[in-house]
Amino acid sequence: MPEPTLRRVVITGLGAVSPVGIGVRDFADSLRAGRVGIGPARSFDATPFPSRKAAEVDDFDPAALLHHLDPDRWGRSALLAAAASRLAVEDSGIDPLLLSAGRSGSIMGTTSGESAVAQSLGGQWVTQGLKGLEPRLVGQLPAGQIAGAVNAELGLSGDAQTIPTACSASNYALGYAFDMVRLGEADFMLAGGADSVNRLTHAGFYALGAMAQDLPQPFDANRSGIITGEGGAALLLEPLEHALARGARIYAEVLGYAANCDASHMVHPDATSIADCIKAAHRNAGVVPDQIDYICAHGTGTPTNDATEVRAVRQVFGDRLPPISSIKSMLGHTMGAASGFGAIACCTALEQGFLPPTANLVETDPELGPGVDCVPGRGRDARVEIVQNHGFAFGGNNVITILGRYL
Amino acid sequence: MTTAAPVQPLPVVGAGVVSSAGYGLAPLAGAPAPGAAPEPAAGADAAYPPRPLRPVPGFKAADHLGRKGIKNLDRLAQLSLVACKQALEAAGPAAAGTDPARTGVVLATNTGSIAGYSDLLYETLTLDKPYLINPGKFAGSVMNCSAGQMAIRHGLKGLNATVAGGRSASLYAFRHARLAMAAGRAEELLVGGAEELSAPTAWAWHHAGTLREAAPVGEGSAVFVVRAEETPGEPVLAELLACEVGFFGWTGVNRRAGLGRGLTNGLVTAINRALERSAVAADDVADVSLGAGDHIGLDRVEERAVRLALGRLPDPVRVTEVLGETYSAGGAMQLAALLARWQGSPGSGKPRIGLITSVGHDGNAGALVVRERV
Repeated sequence: MPEPTLRRVVITGLGAVSPVGIGVRDFADSLRAGRVGIGPARSFDATPFPSRKAAEVDDFDPAALLHHLDPDRWGRSALLAAAASRLAVEDSGIDPLLLSAGRSGSIMGTTSGESAVAQSLGGQWVTQGLKGLEPRLVGQLPAGQIAGAVNAELGLSGDAQTIPTACSASNYALGYAFDMVRLGEADFMLAGGADSVNRLTHAGFYALGAMAQDLPQPFDANRSGIITGEGGAALLLEPLEHALARGARIYAEVLGYAANCDASHMVHPDATSIADCIKAAHRNAGVVPDQIDYICAHGTGTPTNDATEVRAVRQVFGDRLPPISSIKSMLGHTMGAASGFGAIACCTALEQGFLPPTANLVETDPELGPGVDCVPGRGRDARVEIVQNHGFAFGGNNVITILGRYL
Repeated sequence: MTTAAPVQPLPVVGAGVVSSAGYGLAPLAGAPAPGAAPEPAAGADAAYPPRPLRPVPGFKAADHLGRKGIKNLDRLAQLSLVACKQALEAAGPAAAGTDPARTGVVLATNTGSIAGYSDLLYETLTLDKPYLINPGKFAGSVMNCSAGQMAIRHGLKGLNATVAGGRSASLYAFRHARLAMAAGRAEELLVGGAEELSAPTAWAWHHAGTLREAAPVGEGSAVFVVRAEETPGEPVLAELLACEVGFFGWTGVNRRAGLGRGLTNGLVTAINRALERSAVAADDVADVSLGAGDHIGLDRVEERAVRLALGRLPDPVRVTEVLGETYSAGGAMQLAALLARWQGSPGSGKPRIGLITSVGHDGNAGALVVRERV
């Protein structure tokens, strides 16, 4: 059996529908400015909760962004994913007909799938019983609708696979889509993820003791947890040769990735297992720790996550830590979209030459040890060549992607 | 730009099945025996809609898994864990020797545990203090809970994927495993699907209106141990050849572009491509395992596509006649039923070729080719 010819894969289009801006320009400007997209929750009645904040996409108007989908026929997460993908395709400058005529598809991560749809169905259940569920909403519920919406919007006949592996899902989607293009299983792939703010996720993180009292403060000495967020993140993956031939703007080359599982606990992260994942990602990408210029952290802002994450990074980098920041300080925890936004942040950092900041930081936690540069407050100009994007999840799923500037 | 490159066959060295027909492959071989009708209890339960149901009868996870670590698990995770355990046991000692860091999971589910999730949802909508829901139950309500639990129980530290794609979710899982192996990301994977029956799920099917009135809603899990390369001397059940899945549910986008591709043509494309990449001619397909028999309209799409691709419809395996609709687990159950037929009816000595097809109202359609090992 001949070895498959491996292609180099680059990212040529970015689409963000986020609490800090719609479209990659607004998104990147917000990151640079350290703008925080958190406010009073509007998508559900938060009055019974001690904290009523969420990071929502207040101005999301699917009809204004989508060309083909009827917003009444799809759930909010599907619409967020499809809108982000449409934006990524527009950003790439590629001919949409070229995409739909080729072997193209989408891999979309999510944590809670169509949770806003489920919330509406739950309301119907409470008031009218299971007999009273609305068939239109029932059809929107399966998580597979998220990638399906992307393919339906763009007219793609390749894979439409949704990866519901919780909060590292879009990093996994990016890795899997990279393998598809690299191995020649697909010509072009949209990779990313989507989730919606909803009452159950809000309640659940509260119950776990992981909700911030006010704003999320990753890496801060007084950090208390997350704020739930939402959004759609999408990246267009293309073979390098094709991107060069059409003179595309290349944000980044996907150098490699690794995915592993703690296999020890559903909720508590495991530093050694994360460190193993980082080492495997470096090996697969053909890089060494000294080459990493920036880490886009999982950085949830819970006391446990940030301490474990920094401990894991130390196991690999020793005491020479690259700058490490958490965009969740601005976006909230966008769940299945989170590491997709991380990847977009990494791409804009490579393109524009800056380090995305950690907002809301008052005092870097001394217990994290020396040499932790979280890029406090605002973005910082810096030449960035190779970056590392983290995603960890319930179930012990770790995924690390490595992106580099294409030279 | 893409090539329809031939695929490397992947040996299947173990299978675990828990279904309304029983445990293992054998009960899937035929139509349900007279008198072996599923328990009527669930159907008579007022919480359920008035339609036939096919639960796994008398399922008690502790009988299979022991009491440790299962108390807070929902039924979906319990069913998955039983199938996983049986698959690993069937694979025998060679499976136990694989590097845990190179052993992973690819499991199909479209919703996770609807029962577990909807209980919590109900509580958050009705409790005065909704933030007092059970945190352990919340952590278990994520859709990747079953795959995570499989990893925890068996120490599987490799990639851990959960995949969704409607009725084609299990075929996406097989395709996912194929790709992960081709990319060198794992040596051994537990691949399959799981589905759980509950009142909200049964109502959801009832409301969706896509199932025939007499079609039962079922449940269960089928998991297969798949290797990148086989260990010499190890028993092999079958080989997974190519698996092709795509999306053909656009609303007019490509029609306007003059590409006119519908669901039937989509499935034909998937079958043809899977056969080509398996280096198998249409005439060589001995058995077809269908999955859409319970769905109004889809059954005809599926059979028509097979006839168009093969020029005929070989006497098909129809596992839905035994199990009802098992949704996320459907494709995995179709593979299990095909293997059961082969085990129950010796062939000519020449390895038989099987085709598994999948199609859904959501626009997903796919085909998996398998080869018997004799």
